[in-house]
Amino acid sequence: MQKTVVQLSHINKTFPGVKALDDVSFDLRSGEVMALLGENGAGKSTLMKILSGVYMRDSGSVKIFDEEVGDLTPKKAQELGVAIIHQELNMCAHLSVAENIFLGREKVKGILLSSHEMNEEAKKVLQRLNINIDPETIVGDLAVSKQQMIEIAKALSTNARILIMDEPTSALTSKEIDDLFVIIHKLRNEGCAIVYISHRLEELQHVVDRVTIMRDGKFITSGNFADFTMNEIIANMVGREIKEKFPRVQCPVGDTILKVEHLNAGRMVRDISFELHAGEIVGIAGLMGAGRTETTRALFGADVSESGTVTLDGKPVAIHCPADAIRAGIVLAPEDRKKDGLCTKLSIRENIALPNLDLLCNKFGVVNRKKEHEMAQKAQQDLAIKMAGAEVDAGSLSGGNQQKVVVAKWLARNSRVVIFDEPTRGIDVAAKVEIYNLMNELKQNGIGVLFVSSEMPEVLGIADRILVMCDGRITGELDPAKTTQNEVLEYATRFESKFSKPQLA
Amino acid sequence: MEKSEKRNPFRKVMAVRGMGQVVTVSVGLVVLCVVFGILNPSFFSSKNVGNLLRQIAPTLIIGIGQSFVLITGNIDLSIGSVVGMSCMLSATMMTKGVNPWVAVLITLACCIAVGLVNGELVARCKLPPFIATLGTMTIARGIAQIANNNYNTDSIGEGAETFRNFFYYGKVLGLYNTIWIAAALWLIFNFLLSRTRTGRHIYAVGSNLEASKLSGVNIIRTTNNAYLVSAICACAVGLIICATSGMGTMDAGNSYEMYAVAASVIGGVSTLGGQGILLGTVIGASIWGVLQNGLQFAGAPVAIRNIVIGIIVVVSVLMDVVLRGGKPRRTAKDKTAPAKAAS
Repeated sequence: MQKTVVQLSHINKTFPGVKALDDVSFDLRSGEVMALLGENGAGKSTLMKILSGVYMRDSGSVKIFDEEVGDLTPKKAQELGVAIIHQELNMCAHLSVAENIFLGREKVKGILLSSHEMNEEAKKVLQRLNINIDPETIVGDLAVSKQQMIEIAKALSTNARILIMDEPTSALTSKEIDDLFVIIHKLRNEGCAIVYISHRLEELQHVVDRVTIMRDGKFITSGNFADFTMNEIIANMVGREIKEKFPRVQCPVGDTILKVEHLNAGRMVRDISFELHAGEIVGIAGLMGAGRTETTRALFGADVSESGTVTLDGKPVAIHCPADAIRAGIVLAPEDRKKDGLCTKLSIRENIALPNLDLLCNKFGVVNRKKEHEMAQKAQQDLAIKMAGAEVDAGSLSGGNQQKVVVAKWLARNSRVVIFDEPTRGIDVAAKVEIYNLMNELKQNGIGVLFVSSEMPEVLGIADRILVMCDGRITGELDPAKTTQNEVLEYATRFESKFSKPQLA
Repeated sequence: MEKSEKRNPFRKVMAVRGMGQVVTVSVGLVVLCVVFGILNPSFFSSKNVGNLLRQIAPTLIIGIGQSFVLITGNIDLSIGSVVGMSCMLSATMMTKGVNPWVAVLITLACCIAVGLVNGELVARCKLPPFIATLGTMTIARGIAQIANNNYNTDSIGEGAETFRNFFYYGKVLGLYNTIWIAAALWLIFNFLLSRTRTGRHIYAVGSNLEASKLSGVNIIRTTNNAYLVSAICACAVGLIICATSGMGTMDAGNSYEMYAVAASVIGGVSTLGGQGILLGTVIGASIWGVLQNGLQFAGAPVAIRNIVIGIIVVVSVLMDVVLRGGKPRRTAKDKTAPAKAAS
């Protein structure tokens, strides 16, 4: 019989202005993988941060191994066997694997570090997970997926019995995800209790035993995963049925808007040529590291390109820096919202105004505040951004709404080409559909839409034409109506013969 | 929300970002004044208040400059040396018979050159700002020393009377000119920072360099602008010192960069970049000035004053780091936790 190891009952938590958790209860048994599902801002992360001692609950009880634990601190939670693996990896890139695993708990003999002992122990933990990595490797040299496994190893080395994984697969390729699932299964069979938070519902069936669904800070339902259909899960998450997962709009394909010829920028962008027409969405598919992001950055002028011509509406444009691209009418909503997309310390209004200050300033460079407020308000209405007001920090929004702000700042100006890099990563189903609708709207307005995505169903569902990239080159151009995921994958792995297939690790 | 803001002007003021901290330190300033006033009633005498304001003015000016640089997420350690350089260059030229106003312009040009070098080193050459401005700090001090062959200058002479009055001794509407100069610079630069595209870019660069770049912000130009403002402010203070003493002293402005950081940080400008308003710098500079003046009044020796001010600076930065970068803030706003993806 599986033992209940965690019991959270009637947890309440309020942040200034927001009720993040409202009477939420949650239980977790040993030897199971529990999926914690909900839209962005549903309170999943907050709940797990209470369990791991990062946040203090306002009221309610927390029982771990049948023991009322009172106020948890991160250290106390760790001692009780709770470990959390965050969405963003927390690794010291310059230290070795073993040093990272024992960070803060270094083994010492007297005052000297006992590296040998730590390396041996690290090796044991890694072997237990069937991870074949030398503990003395520098973490920064490893692929992201391996780094994630080191995080798991680190958690296990503290004898964690309760493992919380927050979006563990968001940065992994499908092969890497398989490896991760093997490890999760192994841990489950050893009796660990695992909380699995993910937006990628399609992967749940491979790992999950039970689900708990939250919405707007409230507990909605929980039960065996097998008892739910995917549609029920989505309906519970968003509180309504989403009819079309990939809304598709047909419109006539018009003239060529953008023509890129022989674009080269380093190893990851080699001889890229393609055309983009009015009234179509072109998707760029490929594996991680295929050079898709690099291509968009080179096109946008964020990285230096060595050669190539860009023609917009029949006129050649010279793009040396992002400002050139913006002026010409090519804009980019980048991949990593927090790193590249938003000034999180500035207000939403200021973020939306930032690339559009040329439109908002008079000739002396003085910002017209009235116009600025109007722009922010219009963006909020057009994109249905949920926010307390345009003056709050952009960083305080949920992921989906942050993404909308990133998009909003580019839609406020009349651009000709909008490039989206992974526009739906880490955002919930409902927000995804809103982003798709937005792309469709742009398409209908005759604006060229180019979007990079790692989610194959999304590319097949939304794009009118697919460019597949591999190893810095375009290896294929496909019609989504006539192609399959397998065919896309085949092109995506078409490495040049003179290069051996890169080993991930 | 928009409507309630219009109804309640106080709320509208408080909605300005960074205003909260400014109000907090203002309370501290009032408390300090009251304490010193009780210790020594003549603290509030009109003579002392006039002096106090004149003492605060230079600190405020260099504080403005440092605030600009801090908001871009950098630091300017060369401020003190540029003050010294400005003082020595202008004084040397005036003793050699150059028209004071021509001397002022040439001095300004030299200071601007230092500011540009700072900006280029930091933004284009990507040197750590601490190292880059440490270098220019030493160079600028060297220039100050070499200006008059390693001697302080003689008196800048009778011909410079209007210059001395303009920068220090003259009064308009009962207030010393120095105070007016500080006020004018504050108004100009506050407008630049809060209302113009340049100012917005300065905040954006400090908040997120990469996002700003991808939004079409010219990082190099923006960083240069911040260092330029800093150099112009330092130049003004150098001229004020020159006018005050009527001669050039080689160690003028010594450790002023420290005072500038103090004024900015006490007033709520974040050393982490992207946050802070110049109104805070006014309060920060005032606290600094009141402490100096009040401790002096209370008979504390210079050494004690230095220790007290040093402690206050460290505590302010500590509070800034703890409140903004550390845990408590992350607890309050989950999403602002800095992403540390090891790649």
